Amino acid sequence: MSPRPVVVEPTLRVHSLHALAYCERLFYLEEVEEVRVADAAIFAGRRLHARLEQEGERVEVEVSSEVLGLHGKVDAVRERAGTLVVHEHKRGRHASGEGGPEAWPGDRLQVGAYALLVEECFPGTEVECRVRYHQTDTTVCFPLDERLRQDVVAAVARARLLRASGMRPPVTTEERKCARCSLAPVCLPEEERIGSGAERPRLFPEDDVRQVLHVTTAGSRVGRASDELVVTPPEGEGEPVRLPVRTVSALVSHGAVQVSSQVLALCVERDVGVHWFTSGGRYLGGLGGGGGNVQRRLRQFEALRQEAVCLGLARRLVAAKLEGQLRFLLRASRGDVAAREVMGSAVRDLSALLPGCAEAASLDVLPGLEGAGAARYFGALPYLLGDDVDPRLRFDGRNRRPPRDRFNAVLGFLYGLVHREVEAAIRSVGLDVAFGCFHQPRNSAGPLGLDVMEQFRVPLADMPLVASLNRRAWDAEADFEVTSDRLSKVGRAKAIELYERRKRETWKHNVLGYSLSYARLVELEVRLLEKEWTGTPGLFATFRLR
Amino acid sequence: MAEPRRWYLITYDIRDPKRWRKVYALLKGYGEWLQLSVFRCLLTDRDREQLRWELARRMDPVDTLLVIGLCGGCVERVRAINPGEDWPEEPPPFRVL
Repeated sequence: MSPRPVVVEPTLRVHSLHALAYCERLFYLEEVEEVRVADAAIFAGRRLHARLEQEGERVEVEVSSEVLGLHGKVDAVRERAGTLVVHEHKRGRHASGEGGPEAWPGDRLQVGAYALLVEECFPGTEVECRVRYHQTDTTVCFPLDERLRQDVVAAVARARLLRASGMRPPVTTEERKCARCSLAPVCLPEEERIGSGAERPRLFPEDDVRQVLHVTTAGSRVGRASDELVVTPPEGEGEPVRLPVRTVSALVSHGAVQVSSQVLALCVERDVGVHWFTSGGRYLGGLGGGGGNVQRRLRQFEALRQEAVCLGLARRLVAAKLEGQLRFLLRASRGDVAAREVMGSAVRDLSALLPGCAEAASLDVLPGLEGAGAARYFGALPYLLGDDVDPRLRFDGRNRRPPRDRFNAVLGFLYGLVHREVEAAIRSVGLDVAFGCFHQPRNSAGPLGLDVMEQFRVPLADMPLVASLNRRAWDAEADFEVTSDRLSKVGRAKAIELYERRKRETWKHNVLGYSLSYARLVELEVRLLEKEWTGTPGLFATFRLR
Repeated sequence: MAEPRRWYLITYDIRDPKRWRKVYALLKGYGEWLQLSVFRCLLTDRDREQLRWELARRMDPVDTLLVIGLCGGCVERVRAINPGEDWPEEPPPFRVL
């Protein structure tokens, strides 16, 4: 008989058992999908360990065992009267049991696993566990007894089972745990529970508080000095601007801007997106998002290869876009009898197209519906501009590449910025822009980016632009390069400001029921899209303007 | 809705030029250098803990560090006493250069 190949399963981090005891979904996200978000508590824990090391308190020992299927680092192992004592340091407080201080179940499991590993190295020796809780300054001791052994073995078996399965476990039923979980913005437990109706605690996925840095001056150079980004304008145009890298969330370069390779390396390391636009405002592409995410991508490809899934998503997407356009027209002409009269047919046609989207028999029908909707919408849009808007800024139909009038120049530029936002969100969620549901795969632009973007054209670009024109915020001479109908440097800065301010405006989600900024909404939509094929379908593309 | 941020004044005394350079470079990535061994940083709790950890890794027990968290009232008084300096409440979410 020929020997069978032995497949050795990789060992588990002991630390992952701690996550497993807390929440199976947390374990899955961290250990299988490798999504790790370090929050303040995690850094505080690391600092505690760094301090102990400096005080000579800690002797890290690395242990592993293929029999147990575990590996990890023990904080310290000391011998005391013939017994080996496994030490573990925890920053927080102890659990209160019936007979005094106790260790939390996760901590018990973790230390128990270390004890088993240590025992394997020194067979026959008595092993004891000690957990020191620094906040309450208490030490909890317990022996490595039969119950603890069984608990560890059962936990390892459960962890292996979860790791082998392709399904993400459901969110925990103990909601309190989610409030303190560092992965809540990725896991989105609240959104998963939305169907069950009851009143829920709100878990806001927080906004990125870092700045988006747009470099628009042709001839600028972006360099690196230790952990700072240094933007040097061309000779004679002012002093360099220095920005600490941790205060920047994305570096956007418009046109002829030099970005050094050292800056790129720093940005990749520090999770700062880098994006390039042409000087005319076309989005070229970007960097960022980290590697891996292979599980998420495989699931995306698997789901989007099914025609039924694609069709379902595309129907909703086109319906969302058309309804967005319709609602904007209605909203902007509210109370304006004259505008309503002129737009009457456009509004009627758009409403008539909506049921068609929900029933579209195939993907080929949808672009026709979308085009028909766009024609009606852009046909009606000029009537939303006030009478006192400069005639040179007026709009008469959408055109691009290159834009033939000033309105289209700004609109195209704003769409480019929206496109950047969406692609950055897709990357940070870990999906692949190159495979979408509605747009066909092409080499130049990522179809998924274009898909998700459809919902955001109206709220993030059209609405603020029309409003700013009615406010007479644009100067037909200074803001444009008259020869080519492109934005000038001043105009570009204006458009960026208009967009970035709009992005920060908060808005109450009509389905999820809580307020969030548009910037956050873009990322949320991508996460909801991923949920379409990971167990909670039905939320993507459901947001609507009021 | 964004993570709340607070101003921190960070001062240090490092006894070795090699460690001093490392700490200086690290702090440059978090905030603004004001004076010799004095920085000011606008940090979230997470940033603060990360910075404290990174500092703990670079510093030695003989070095000293002082991190002063400033409450809203403290910042107001800094503004009142040093009117020339700008301590923004909430920096704009973007920069155009």
